[in-house]
This record gives sequence, structure tokens and C-alpha cells, in this order.
Amino acid sequence: MVLEEEIPTFAAWFGPALLTFLLTAALVILFVGLAAWVVQAVRDGPLAAGDRVYRGVLTGLQDLAGTSPRRVWALARLAIKEALRRNVLVVLGVFGLVILFAGWFLDPATVDPGRLYLGFILAATSFLVCTVTLVLAVFSLPADIKSKAIQTVTTKPVRTGEIVLGRFLGFAVVGTLLLGIMGLAGWGFVVRSVQHSHEIASLDVREVRDEEGGLTGFEGRTGPGRGHRHFLRLDAEGNGVAETFHGHRHPVTAQSQDGQLVFEVGSPAGILEARRPLRGTLRFLDREGRPAAKGISVGAEWAYRQYIEGGTAAAAIWTFEGVGEDEFPDGLPLEMTVRVFRTYKGTITEGIHGTVQLRNPSTQLRSEAFPIVAREFTIDELWIPRQLNTVLADGGVREADLYTDFVSDGRVEVWLQCLEPAQYYGVAQADFYLRAGDGSFAINYAKSCLGAWFAMLIVTAMGVMFSTFLSAPVALVSSLAVLLIGQFREFIARLFTSQVTGDASIAPGGGPIESLYRIVTQTSITLELDPTPAVQAMKLVDTVLLAPMRLAAGLFPSLATLGTGEFVAGGFDIPGDLLAAHAAETLAYVAAFCIAGAFCLRAREVAS
Amino acid sequence: MTPSNTAPAPSSDEVVIEARNLSKVYRDFWGRDKKAALKPLNLAVKKGEIFGLLGPNGSGKTTTLKLLLGLIFPTSGEAFVFGRPATDVAKNERIGYLPEESYLYKFLDAEETLDFYGRLFGMPPEERARRAAALIEMVGLGRDRKRQLREYSKGMTRRIGIAQALINDPELVLLDEPTSGLDPIGTREVKDLIIDLKQRGKTVVMCSHLLADVEDVCDRIAVLHQGELKELGRVEDLLRVTGVTQFQARDLAPAAYDAVRKVLAEHGASDIEIGHPRTTLEDLFLDVVRDTEARPGRRAQAAATPDKPAGA
Repeated sequence: MVLEEEIPTFAAWFGPALLTFLLTAALVILFVGLAAWVVQAVRDGPLAAGDRVYRGVLTGLQDLAGTSPRRVWALARLAIKEALRRNVLVVLGVFGLVILFAGWFLDPATVDPGRLYLGFILAATSFLVCTVTLVLAVFSLPADIKSKAIQTVTTKPVRTGEIVLGRFLGFAVVGTLLLGIMGLAGWGFVVRSVQHSHEIASLDVREVRDEEGGLTGFEGRTGPGRGHRHFLRLDAEGNGVAETFHGHRHPVTAQSQDGQLVFEVGSPAGILEARRPLRGTLRFLDREGRPAAKGISVGAEWAYRQYIEGGTAAAAIWTFEGVGEDEFPDGLPLEMTVRVFRTYKGTITEGIHGTVQLRNPSTQLRSEAFPIVAREFTIDELWIPRQLNTVLADGGVREADLYTDFVSDGRVEVWLQCLEPAQYYGVAQADFYLRAGDGSFAINYAKSCLGAWFAMLIVTAMGVMFSTFLSAPVALVSSLAVLLIGQFREFIARLFTSQVTGDASIAPGGGPIESLYRIVTQTSITLELDPTPAVQAMKLVDTVLLAPMRLAAGLFPSLATLGTGEFVAGGFDIPGDLLAAHAAETLAYVAAFCIAGAFCLRAREVAS
Repeated sequence: MTPSNTAPAPSSDEVVIEARNLSKVYRDFWGRDKKAALKPLNLAVKKGEIFGLLGPNGSGKTTTLKLLLGLIFPTSGEAFVFGRPATDVAKNERIGYLPEESYLYKFLDAEETLDFYGRLFGMPPEERARRAAALIEMVGLGRDRKRQLREYSKGMTRRIGIAQALINDPELVLLDEPTSGLDPIGTREVKDLIIDLKQRGKTVVMCSHLLADVEDVCDRIAVLHQGELKELGRVEDLLRVTGVTQFQARDLAPAAYDAVRKVLAEHGASDIEIGHPRTTLEDLFLDVVRDTEARPGRRAQAAATPDKPAGA
């Protein structure tokens, strides 16, 4: 799976994140307070405006402090009843239809059916739940204000914060209920959809005998199923595996019936998994074997993967830490995804050959080279045994122990090299890892649903906040706009950094004005513009325009970054640190939206 | 509803509501003045009295109530309820409010409605259930307690609206057009209820443009017109016609009329009129209904005895 940035530990993430949150909150409060004062000052004069703003903030804070959980729950119950009696559960029927269509139109014969089904179900679930709760959230309060039912609530000892929190909580409960049901149904659908088996016809299997003619096993292929077949590796009793293909394998057992072996293929293994990887840090050597900051760029705009040239000394080297006998007693389960860039076609049906070697980072002792074939788009497995050979300086070979000879203070290096000249291997740091263990797929799936839950909470809180001062349709459009801008949060941040630092490689193409200029003049985004005074002025205007965009983008939530479906679909366990960071981010957004909503509702006349 | 008789007002000098130069100007989006709904108003309502805000449509009655409740903010001046600013939420603990129309949640039934509002006051479950049951019976919705409010008629909605205003047993009840949408029986019951509240020491502020309702129950009234206070005082003082004296007697024979006239004339009275007092249409209607309920099947005799006095 793609992992563009390392996932920090929660402890390392929390401090800077909290600081950013507090600074942003302070800036927003200052800005809003100033704006409120200016508006009041125009009407009532500066002193009276100051007094009003001060009293407004003070009583608002007092109201927040006086929030009663009982009243919040009463209002939440009302929101739940409102949603249920407006037939919100109809969305479950829509979800049923989605599953039905998915069953008809998704191709189970695809290379990675687990990714396809999981990706679709998780996206559909999140989209439906977020849409429903957003619509509920933005329409509820304006409807109450329009019908004036809000007047019978605000004339009770109810704080505006309680109204906002109650709405949010109620719709969040409804969203949670929907998510729970959809999550369970989606789980059942995915598990059933990836299930398949293969027949093994006797004609497809042949005996393997040793030199003395003794039966050592069987080989052959399974029959077709879901558009693929597996190679068989069976022992003399006929038991073994149908080897990994399309990301999964099958156990194979044999029974003797009437003197003949009948093979039975079990359920697929390896599709729905939750790998727990131990990741290392990546560095490169160039074609001369000298350290290089990066690998070779093959011209792809997305510079996630760097390439090494085949048939040279170029290498990609991962250094793993925390490798020990306790974690990996029998050897190292190395898993890898290697992309290929071909400068000539070669034998297109075959992969590109290369090697993997271990090296002791302290003694520089190297292991024998393990041959690999880069098959692309699949995760290849390489088991590095406990006992292996090492190549001596004189060219001799001796037996060595993994931990005694290659691991130093828990550190070991894994070298990847491409053997074929003029062909290239492309790798990123996350592409090589040691499989430290497996989590429960069910729990991982639940964790992913938790990501959808976080998104739903943020969307709901935002919808409620906008509905406190906007009419329902405007609140809906505003929420969607914020979510849309949030989706481009990372891009806008990169663009701003690129603009300020002048490093075009961070985000090529420049800001809005420069982009427009490039479109009109049909200038490639990778082409540097001559630094004429006009270009300089254009860049300056872009920086000025991007500054508020950067600030706004930093405020807006990005649901894409909260989504952890890629982990589950890719078969990786969602790290607890990531989940904790997402939970904290969600809490921050929900709290900010609820407080802002409470102040907005307090500032408006609900009966005018 | 509980019928009651009109007892003297147990009002005190404690001020429950106070408005000081309270005014409201509605503005448009750009902050330009659109309408002066209430011109500076000074007002005090004392504990235990029934206070009526009287005026035609658009006179500022409802605006005044909304300002007192903190539903809208004054353009200038101040409003205090129980000595607290009108925008203070804490004052609502002691207030019951019936809006102009019963703006309630249509997807709830009567029990759920009262349970919801009871929860907002933090009432314990047993008390909520007890109060809700008693109020539903009081407003005569016992048989409709499980129906969603969207199925209610206007009168029924009004009744449940009154019940929600009383769920917390408030010290101050603000009623906006309390008899609007009610039939004469309901109207009488509401008026009886208002008087009953007063007897229990509650303060009631009601606004209405139905003059008879205000006259029947209010101790004091304020008359508003075009957002301005025009009259303020006790009902009996404002309605008293000075210079005219009225006598009443039961079973006086027509033969005595001349003698009475002569005596009055001897004392310098002029414009002497003697005749039978009129009952109100409301009393007549209620008598007919009660009579019909007491003796089902009995035919109405109004056409046969057009001059029959009320209550006969």
C-alpha cells in the first residue's frame, strides 16, 4: 500500500498537533471577536460594542460551563426520534440496493478482489452515512426555527450549547446505528464475495518422483475459478497448498477414494488479512555504488517511488530496527512490492529479475543473494531462513546464522538490486517490510468503520454548526464546500510551501494566477518560467492569494485523511497510533464546531 | 380543566417583570431600520396578578413577550424577569410559555411532548410521568395521549401547548393568545385555568386581542397600539363609567317601575333606564351545552321561548 508519510507515534504527534490547534483556535476567536466588534461598533459605537462583545463572550462561556448532560440527552433523544420518524432507516434499503448492484457489477475475477470489494463497501458505507447525517443535521434546526418549535425549547432553561450538542449527539447516534448495520452487512457481503474454491482434475496433476522413482509429491494446477488458476505444491500424501496468485492461496488436502487420490481445495487464505508490518528506513546507492539522496526519477509526476538501474551497483537499502529472535524466531518473513520501469519490452509475460541480500550494518557481512522476480501490483513474499550462507571476501561460502552474523543491535539491512541491465526497479520506503504478525481482520475492519465514524461525526457537527445561522440549503452547500476544500488541504499546503520557498518540485505549476497563465500560454507545469518582473509580480500575487487559502485549508477537515479503508483493502492492520491521532483530530473538530455553533445560535434571534 | 370561581387577587408588591425603556426595531440584512415594533416601554408586573397586554394585530404585544423571554434582543432599554436580565437562561426555570400558536414537535405524541419538556427542566422520571398524566387529563386529552400531534386539531394542539407551558409548575406564565383556536368551552376552561393559577399564587401575563377574554380574567391591562403604550391600569378602573349609577334587583314587579323612576327623579337623576340585564353569548352557549350533557335527547327550546332569561 502507498504510505507517503511515516505514521508518527501518538505521543510524538499530539504535542505539535495540540499547539497548532490552540494557535488556530486563538486566531479564529480573535478574528471573529474583532469582526463582531466592528459590526456592533458601526451600530452602537465602539464602547458599547466592546461591552456587548465582552458580555456576549462572558455569558456564552458561562452557558457552556452550565451545560447539563440531562438536557443534552433530552435534546439528543428528540433528534433521534425526529430522524427515525422521518424514516431515516430507508437509507438501509438504499444500501441494500448498493450491495445488490455491487454483487452484480463488481468483477470477482479481478487481481485483488479483497481490495475491490472492501474499497467499494467501505466507501459506499461512509458516503451514505455521512450524507444522511449531514442532511439531517443541516435541515433539522432551520426547520425548527421556521416552524417556531425552537421557541418552546429556548424558553426552557436550555443553553444554546445544549441545543447544538443535543442535535449533534442525536444525529451521531443515528449515524452510528446506520454505520453499525451497514458495517455488519458490508462485512457479510465482502466475506461471502471473496469466498471461492477450485476443482482439481486428475489430468491437471502429475506425480513428482525422485531419482530412485520414489513419489515425493505432486505438481500441477488447479482448475479455473474466478478467472484464475493456482500452481499446486503438494507432498506425497497429496496435502499442500495452491500457491499464491491474485493475492491469495488455498490449502489443499487429499483423500483416497477407491485407490485414487481426490484433492479438495479449501477456502482462500491471504485475501482478508491484517498484516502488522515492521517497516525500515530507505536509502539509495547510485549506479556507481555511491550513496544517493534519491533514486532515479523515471519521469512520473508522482515522485513517490524512486528507481534503481538494473545491472549496476545501484541498490535500494532498507534498514530495519528492532529485529530480534523474540519477534522472528524462525527467520525473517520479508514482504515486498516492486514496481518495474522497462526501457525495452523484453519478455513481457515474465517479471524482471533481481536479488535481495541481507547485510550486517556494523560488520558489512553480506548474505547470499536471494533471487526475486518483480511481478508488480502484488505483494511478493520472501522467507529468509534462520540458517543461511554468507559470501566471504575470497569468494568462498560459509554457513551463517541470521541473528549472530547479520543482525547487530537489532538492526539489519536488506539490499535490493535489479539484475537486468537497462531495466529499473521502483520502490518506496513502505514497499518492503518484515511481517511482524497478523491482527484480526474483523477488528481491522471495525477499525476502518471507526474511520468512517470519525468522518460522520465531523460532518454532523459541521452541519449542525452551519444550520445555527444559515438556512438549510445554504448550510448544506456550505458544508459541502468546506468538505471539498478540505479534500485539497494537503495540496493547498504543498502549493503554499512551494510558493514561499520557491521550490517548484514540491508543487509544480505555481499558484492560481501562474496556473492560469500556463493554461492560456499552454506552458508545461514542469517548465521553469523566466524570472521577468511580470513573472515575479505574478508569483507575489499568488503568494498573497494562497496565504488565506492556506489558512482556510488548515481549518477545514479532510475526510480523506481520516479514511483508513486503504489499510484494510490493502490487507494491513490499521496502526493504533494513527487511529488515536484521528480520534483526537475528530474530537478537536467536533468540539470546535459545537462551540462555534453554540455561539452562533446564541447571537441570533430565534424568534425574529 | 379545573373550574374555579373568581377570588380576590393575592398579588404582592414583589415585581416579577420589569421593562425599562424597552424598544425593538426590526432591521433588514444591511442593518437598516425596517419597522419599529415597540417604542420605549416602561412596565412592571407584580407577583400574583393577571396582566393583560391588549392591542390590535401588529401592536407589539407578541414582540413584548418575546423580549421578556429573551427570544429577541431589545434595540434599546432593558427587560428583567425575576430580577434577572431577560436573556438569562436561568430565569426560564420559573417560567411557562405558550406561544401564539402551539409550536410543538408534530412527530411526538402528547405524552412524549410533555416528557420531553419535563426533561428540559431536569425533572425526575416519576415526577415527569405524574405531571404529564395530570396535565393531559387537565387539558382533556386523555384519550388522545398516544396520537402524534400532527393528527391533532387546532384546539387540541392549543391544549397540549398549554400543558407544556405548565409542565414545570411555573411561577410566571406567559400566554400569547391563549384562547386562540379554542371553542367556547375550551375558552372558558382556559380562563378558569388562568384564574386558578392566580389563586395558586402564580403570575400570569397574557396577550390577546379578544377583549372579552382580557376583561374576564385580567387584574391589570396595558393597551398597546402601533408599538406604543396607550393605557395602563386596573381593568375595573379603566372600565368604570363615572356619572352613571346602576341598581339591580330580583323579582321586581313591572308595577314598581314607575315608583322607582319617581324616586330617582326626585333625587335629580336623569336618563333613567329600567330593563332586564343581558347575559353573554358565552354564558348562554355554555348553559345549553351543560344542559344537553345533563339531559341527553332533550330538544332545544330557545326558539319556543325567545325571551327566556339565561340560567332558567
